[in-house]
Amino acid sequence: MTISRRTFAGLSASFVALSKAAFAQDWRNSPTGLVEKFAEKGITDILGANITQREKTDRFRVLFKDFFDIPSIGRFVLARFARAATPEENDKFASLFEDVIVYTWSRRFGEYKGQSFKVKDSSADGDDGALVNSDIVGNDGQSFAVAWRLRKRETGFRVVDVIIEGVSMAITYRQEYATIIQQAAGIAGLLAQMQKQVDDLKAKVG
Amino acid sequence: MLSRIPSSTIRRIPVLALAIVLSGCATKPPASDPAAVAAFAESNDQLEPFNRAMFKVDQGIDAVLTRPIVSTYRSIIPDPARRGVTNFLRNLRSPITFANSLLQGNVDRAGQTIGRFVVNSTFGILGFADIAADLGTPYQYEDFGQTLAKWGVGDGSYLYVPVFGPMSIRDGAGMLVDNFAFDPVTWYSYGKNPAWVDWAYFGALYVDVKASTMPATDELKASSIDYYAALRAAYRQNRAKEIRNGAPAPAPFMPAGEDDPFAAVPAKK
Repeated sequence: MTISRRTFAGLSASFVALSKAAFAQDWRNSPTGLVEKFAEKGITDILGANITQREKTDRFRVLFKDFFDIPSIGRFVLARFARAATPEENDKFASLFEDVIVYTWSRRFGEYKGQSFKVKDSSADGDDGALVNSDIVGNDGQSFAVAWRLRKRETGFRVVDVIIEGVSMAITYRQEYATIIQQAAGIAGLLAQMQKQVDDLKAKVG
Repeated sequence: MLSRIPSSTIRRIPVLALAIVLSGCATKPPASDPAAVAAFAESNDQLEPFNRAMFKVDQGIDAVLTRPIVSTYRSIIPDPARRGVTNFLRNLRSPITFANSLLQGNVDRAGQTIGRFVVNSTFGILGFADIAADLGTPYQYEDFGQTLAKWGVGDGSYLYVPVFGPMSIRDGAGMLVDNFAFDPVTWYSYGKNPAWVDWAYFGALYVDVKASTMPATDELKASSIDYYAALRAAYRQNRAKEIRNGAPAPAPFMPAGEDDPFAAVPAKK
């Protein structure tokens, strides 16, 4: 037995309409849409919001976890050392790494002075991913090129790297941490130093 | 990196070379560990013991000399005026970009550089205003280190020199060529030997470079554990972007036949 083509088309159209109405989160499946949404939420809900620094930090953590694939970034950053580390060390690393990003970024929320954000274009990248190019333009007219590397996950796109003026956040952390692991006391040494960094940042951010 | 060396200090370069030799090289990982070898190649820092020592010296110079000067400069001179100084120095150094564009076979860029120089030197009042950028021809910078890279010359090694900052052996050599062959200030002072012109020019470039890079390097310092390693990683990527003239990186992320390094991490049961 076959379903007529028309019935099928009608069914799928109503399904699409239904899911749109139900979730209205099309932007999760659009690379540029996701990046625009991240910037919009970041500016209105955090940078421009009239809330305490602690609330800003908390909101940023939620936003960061929602839009970034932190486990994937952590795996990239630890690279070959992830395989040698114990599951506990990998977990510890993932949670410290999240803290490092959250606190280093939130340290600077106060410096926001109405810079504007413009998404330029998007191109295919990696396994079912995208690279979104954007510009951050300051009030003095100076602009920074910021590229966002995305990967498609079950719930839509997630950010896996931010590249500012050619400098990749993930690669920079990977090289820095590799150096620390080799020159200090292995993974345990890195984790101890990250813990100390997080404590220091926390004390500063408040 | 700072890209000018005062003529009178050139004779000290052999001293630097000797210091590099005496401080020894970083130990290469064994060939049996390909991932470690790849990481060693990525940071390309064969002179790490020397570089770290020089970095420490530079951090000291920064603290006692550079930072006070730069913060005074930043607080006394308003932002638009500092942009003017940057524009003036860039315009003055146009011959370097012009010559290197030609050496790289980029005639269009050489032409744009001449056009910018003419417009900015006249309507831009000796180069203080970047009128050409407003008219749609933005500033571009080429140096002999980039030319050598385009010609296929490798980095040599990462190199950190106090005051001059991060560079590579290739780019350090390139800087010397630019200084002697293409820098109009060298042409002007050649034979006359008015040392103050050379030093004033060097000082202006130094303060200008530091004032514009300090916010970014301070941020990197505050967000890193091993600032030396973080700066090396960031500098090398930024320099690679300059050499590519801003084109997107040729995905080091996905060598043929390898898995996506940003693959999803399976959730735990």
